[in-house]
Amino acid sequence: MTARPFLPAGLIKRIAWGRHSLRASVLAYLAVLLIIPLLVILRDGLQEGLTGFWQTISQPVAWHALTLTLWTSAVMVIINTVMGTLTAYVLVRYEFAGKALLNAIVDLPLAIPTLVTGVMLVILYGPQQALGGWLDHTLGWRIIFAPPGIILALLFITFPLVVRAVQPVLLNLDREQEYAAATLGAGPWTIFRRVTLPALALPMSSGALLSFARAIGEFGAIIIVAGNIPLYTQTAAVFVFGEVESENRAGASAMSIIMVAIALGLILGVEWLQQRQERKSVA
Amino acid sequence: MSITLQNLTKTYNDHLVVNHVSLDVPDGEFFVLLGSSGSGKTTVLKMIAGLTSLDEGRILLHGRDVTALPVQERQVGFVFQHYALFQHMTVADNIEFGLRIRKVAAAQRRRRREELLELVGLTGLGGRMPSQISGGQQQRVALARALAHQPEVLLLDEPLGALDAKIRLELRRTLRSIQRELGITTILVTHDQEEAFELADRVGVMSFGRLLEVGPPQQLYRCPQTEFVATFLGTANLLVGQQTAEGVRIGQVDFPLAERPVAINGNQRVQVLFRPEDVALSDSVDSLACPPLGQGEVAETIFAGSFERLRLRLPPMPGVRPISPPVKYGGDAMIIEAMRSREQAVDLPLKPGDRPWLGIRRVHQLEHPGLNFLLVSDGSPQANGAVTLGGQIARLAHARVTLLGHGSSLSAMEAYLQSTKEALGSGLTALETKTASGSLVPAIAREINGQSYDLIVLGLDPNAHMTTVEQILQMGDHHLLLAPRPSAAPARALICVADGEPAKEDVLFAGRLVRHVGAEATLLSVMGEGEAESTKNQVERFLAAGVRTLELLGVPARAAVRRGAVRETIANELISGNYDMLVMGAPLPQRDGKISLNGVISQILGIIHRPILIVRTEPGSAVR
Repeated sequence: MTARPFLPAGLIKRIAWGRHSLRASVLAYLAVLLIIPLLVILRDGLQEGLTGFWQTISQPVAWHALTLTLWTSAVMVIINTVMGTLTAYVLVRYEFAGKALLNAIVDLPLAIPTLVTGVMLVILYGPQQALGGWLDHTLGWRIIFAPPGIILALLFITFPLVVRAVQPVLLNLDREQEYAAATLGAGPWTIFRRVTLPALALPMSSGALLSFARAIGEFGAIIIVAGNIPLYTQTAAVFVFGEVESENRAGASAMSIIMVAIALGLILGVEWLQQRQERKSVA
Repeated sequence: MSITLQNLTKTYNDHLVVNHVSLDVPDGEFFVLLGSSGSGKTTVLKMIAGLTSLDEGRILLHGRDVTALPVQERQVGFVFQHYALFQHMTVADNIEFGLRIRKVAAAQRRRRREELLELVGLTGLGGRMPSQISGGQQQRVALARALAHQPEVLLLDEPLGALDAKIRLELRRTLRSIQRELGITTILVTHDQEEAFELADRVGVMSFGRLLEVGPPQQLYRCPQTEFVATFLGTANLLVGQQTAEGVRIGQVDFPLAERPVAINGNQRVQVLFRPEDVALSDSVDSLACPPLGQGEVAETIFAGSFERLRLRLPPMPGVRPISPPVKYGGDAMIIEAMRSREQAVDLPLKPGDRPWLGIRRVHQLEHPGLNFLLVSDGSPQANGAVTLGGQIARLAHARVTLLGHGSSLSAMEAYLQSTKEALGSGLTALETKTASGSLVPAIAREINGQSYDLIVLGLDPNAHMTTVEQILQMGDHHLLLAPRPSAAPARALICVADGEPAKEDVLFAGRLVRHVGAEATLLSVMGEGEAESTKNQVERFLAAGVRTLELLGVPARAAVRRGAVRETIANELISGNYDMLVMGAPLPQRDGKISLNGVISQILGIIHRPILIVRTEPGSAVR
């Protein structure tokens, strides 16, 4: 093939037409990539009607997988929101050696393959390892192949989400409100609680929802850390994997629909919160 | 006193943002700190509130030293330029915030809140969120919030700065009446002169970290003491004239003074101020009811509603140097600003090109004649250090500066001057650069033939260049500052009133300079071991008089009399007292006009490596 050095004649005229075709091709791409697979799942899961769907979900194994996923994610969200906010506060408000490095490390969990995350946690907390063994024998805490392992893995994976949601808002926050509170007699803790924290409520919730959405579908780290023990450590994503393996398409699709619905709801929630935050910063 | 500030000083990155500011604000006064941005006025306000730390000084609120207290315990009300309301709380919750912190009961809180909402004219808006009310209303809420806990003093940081002109006027009146009603001692910071005049009982003008002048608005407008205040407040016609026995002479005409100024030596150059409304215009010299300044030409007339503004051109006059309005580059005439009422404009209509006579109804002489510095450099690091020091002092003293570069390569010198000019640039009243080929002494000689200087600053090691120093002193009546090595603006000056040297004048010029840099001074006299006790009493009386004069000038001063060998005693005092500038009187010229530094001065110059100011005395006025 030879490269053509010049644009073909007449292209300029076609730019207006090109704008329409660009829009159309993007929409088509989205349809093929996102919409059609979603519709297929929906059709598959509801093949046997709503009763069939409900029967599949309410089996003890499926139900347990679903509730385990929800409660471990919820615990993670609480811890992550508190710690992520504090991390952002420290990164914005304090100067210390290694701050730039810490700021870079925050994003690391996004880049590390989640399987590797699982392996790291197993090496650290596994029952045969020093730390894991000590926790098991002394405190009776089992981490690996148990729900705490799931929470740890989720915490690791979602760490950047709250930090990065809160940090920019905190950076732009008008310090004068805090100074004003100080002149009115408020101490540092009161200022944080009554003035700083309320201003961070929106980014904190959007970071929390994002973490939750991310956690619902996590597979790689959890399968390594918690294994696939039905009625104990099997999460929704791992359940779907099992159903696919045993060629139970209806079960896989039904659980998938639930997960998609939750994720969709959360993403819409995040979107709404972010829009409110933008309106607020414009005002 | 409600608010007492003593010597507040603050440095950011080696830059003095607040420079020895002292102030007393009596109970119930509305005090306005006025200055352009970067003058340090907001920093002073934040220091009082405890929002900014200070390097030096003390703050007393109602006699209580709060310097070390945190913000929360200072009992101040603070209003910010951009309101700083708590965005997530209602107006009512904002106002009650300070009361909640103090655990005031709910019923009492509600009563106080309603009272304040009524005071600031927002009754019924307690349930709104800050984003639902206008900027002016938000600032009213901020004011109510700052007053809720009944603070001892109210501090307002450009509270009207972010508002529209119309709302600003309205809120200004509200602010004034609330302050009157509550009688709360208030300091307001602003850059708006009109606002300052309308609100203030007294105004303090700040520039480059210094509180230049304090007084009621009328006094500062009509009788300012410094060039900065004269030109910063309103429009000023400011020029340099001659002082005479009765008043001042501008060109050929004598003008009586409304008030006797601080005595300055006769026949000296002085700065003369008259406002546009002091200028009288007439079609003939005879019909002027006041001394005539000359016949001018109308350059521009501006209709301004109830009055008319005019700019007039006046031919240059011998011995008169205009300062404000500034002369434009290439301009060949002085510009005078005038203002007339509409009736006057109807009686004598004027248009550009007309040639009316100008008279001045009232002139005011500034206490401060305006200093003129010459900084000399050959580009060497030593000279550079002196230029930096001279520039720092000039900035603080509001002196105009000429930077003279000399050397063999003029093009290299040009480049050096350009970069130095940029480094010095910010904050100088006026800065001009010049180059001269050849060596130091002839370069300075040529320069001071054209213009007279109050101070020449040199980066010379006096010990190695004694003859050069003598030659430069011989050339004119300027004072000389020698900086043997780079140093910061002095904070402690040792003024030597050494035996046998002229003294009173040393104290006066040094005092003025020291006051400008915000330093403190010690007057030192050294006596021989064998001198009589009666001589010592005489010396002490003389020093005490000097200390009084210095304190009148605003310089913290003390006196010291030491016995011993002059050279060692001065050197010891300088080191043990940690002084960073030495002031000495120059010896009087000999019969042949030569100045010899042999003797005490040369001995001291040889052993001291700190900045030395050599002050001159006019022949005949030497007082022992």
